[in-house]
Amino acid sequence: MFRSLTTRAIIPVTVTVTGFVVVCFFLLYGLMKEDATRDAVHYETNLADTVIKSARYGMLRDDRETMHTLIDNIGSQEGIEHVRIFNKKGLIMFSRDHAEIGRAVDKREAGCIGCHTGPVPATALGRMEQARQFINGRNVPVIAITAPIYNEPACSSAPCHVHPASQKVLGTLDIGLSAIPLKETLATMRSRMIVFSLMVLCLTIGGVAALLRRSVFIPIQKLAEYAAQRVRGEQGGEIPRFNSELDILAEYMKVQEEGRKRSAAKNPATGP
Amino acid sequence: MEQPDTFTTSQEHSQRAENQSTADRRAAIGENIKRLERRANHGLYILAIFITLSIVAVQNFSLLPSFPPAVLSALGKPPSAQMISAALLVYLFSAIILTLARMMEGTGKTGGFAHLGYLAAFYFFYHFSGDMDVHFWAVFAAGVTILSLESYHLWQHCREEILKERALLAELDSLTRKSRLHP
Repeated sequence: MFRSLTTRAIIPVTVTVTGFVVVCFFLLYGLMKEDATRDAVHYETNLADTVIKSARYGMLRDDRETMHTLIDNIGSQEGIEHVRIFNKKGLIMFSRDHAEIGRAVDKREAGCIGCHTGPVPATALGRMEQARQFINGRNVPVIAITAPIYNEPACSSAPCHVHPASQKVLGTLDIGLSAIPLKETLATMRSRMIVFSLMVLCLTIGGVAALLRRSVFIPIQKLAEYAAQRVRGEQGGEIPRFNSELDILAEYMKVQEEGRKRSAAKNPATGP
Repeated sequence: MEQPDTFTTSQEHSQRAENQSTADRRAAIGENIKRLERRANHGLYILAIFITLSIVAVQNFSLLPSFPPAVLSALGKPPSAQMISAALLVYLFSAIILTLARMMEGTGKTGGFAHLGYLAAFYFFYHFSGDMDVHFWAVFAAGVTILSLESYHLWQHCREEILKERALLAELDSLTRKSRLHP
């Protein structure tokens, strides 16, 4: 099998094109996944900012009833898996899930450890560092954002519950959205890319194989068959003709054959 | 009267020397064929080592002890996954072009263990950048492509060389037969 010209020419082409397309597929899919995740995190960060800005008035007035209603309404939206606000000490003050109100958050958990690695917690994180991905108790993949609620002059001077001006962070908003739509979009993209890659592979390898076969392998095979016939001493059949460099070889074979016929005619004892 | 004897001795000596030289050449060709047969499988050994390395890499090198934090901080921030991916694509493209060029030239040169080193470096970079799960298959596919192509090239080259050596051996055999028939 490996001795035929066709196999020897097609194997390197197949390995090269397949390998390159497969690597490009994985790299491209990785980039697209990264971009889609970044977009989802960007959307969530904006949503978290909107929630914090919406809750600002309620927090200034220390209107807990309004805050609970706000968090409940936001949490009832489709796709939102959890939304909670916890204070500086890590106690959950407001949550869609009322059962967890008053519970303390573990600072070593994902989403908290980003700021609480050192002895002094960090007060600012990059957008992607604020995000975390996990599968929640209901087996739903979640992308969550923890956004700090910063102290403002209005907060430290409010008459109701004054925070010292030196306190940078008053609490944290934790909001998590289901990652199922993102995963479904990625799965659709992946299947489309697989189909596209397979089409590119078939067309490239098939095209190269067809062209090589038509222009090189079949003419060579015809010449080889013709030469094999003459070696076996069989007569008859025209020498094949091609519109390419192989005609020179065919011409040479023809001249050789005529020479052999002439010498056989001159000296019949030797035979053809 | 001594001359014919001397002549005969000298002829025998020359014949013996020629036989000796033919035997030496035959042994050298045999040795060459064995060396080429061994070399033809080198590509497969490298591919097997790469697959073993990939099995370790897919588990995020959990079999190996992790670096102490001091070493990690001394190494500094790893390059971004996008930079590593761009480097991987450039490496794959140039490695394929180089191997195809060697195939066209018909030389038996291969990258060999150097490719294994480059691919291991890509695994390590992705591991340190924390993106191994996303990019593992890209490095694996690149490695399999390059090493398969190299392995095929080496195997084909060795086969051609073995055929040449066997033709030489056949020529030597026919010369020996002729010299026996017409001493």
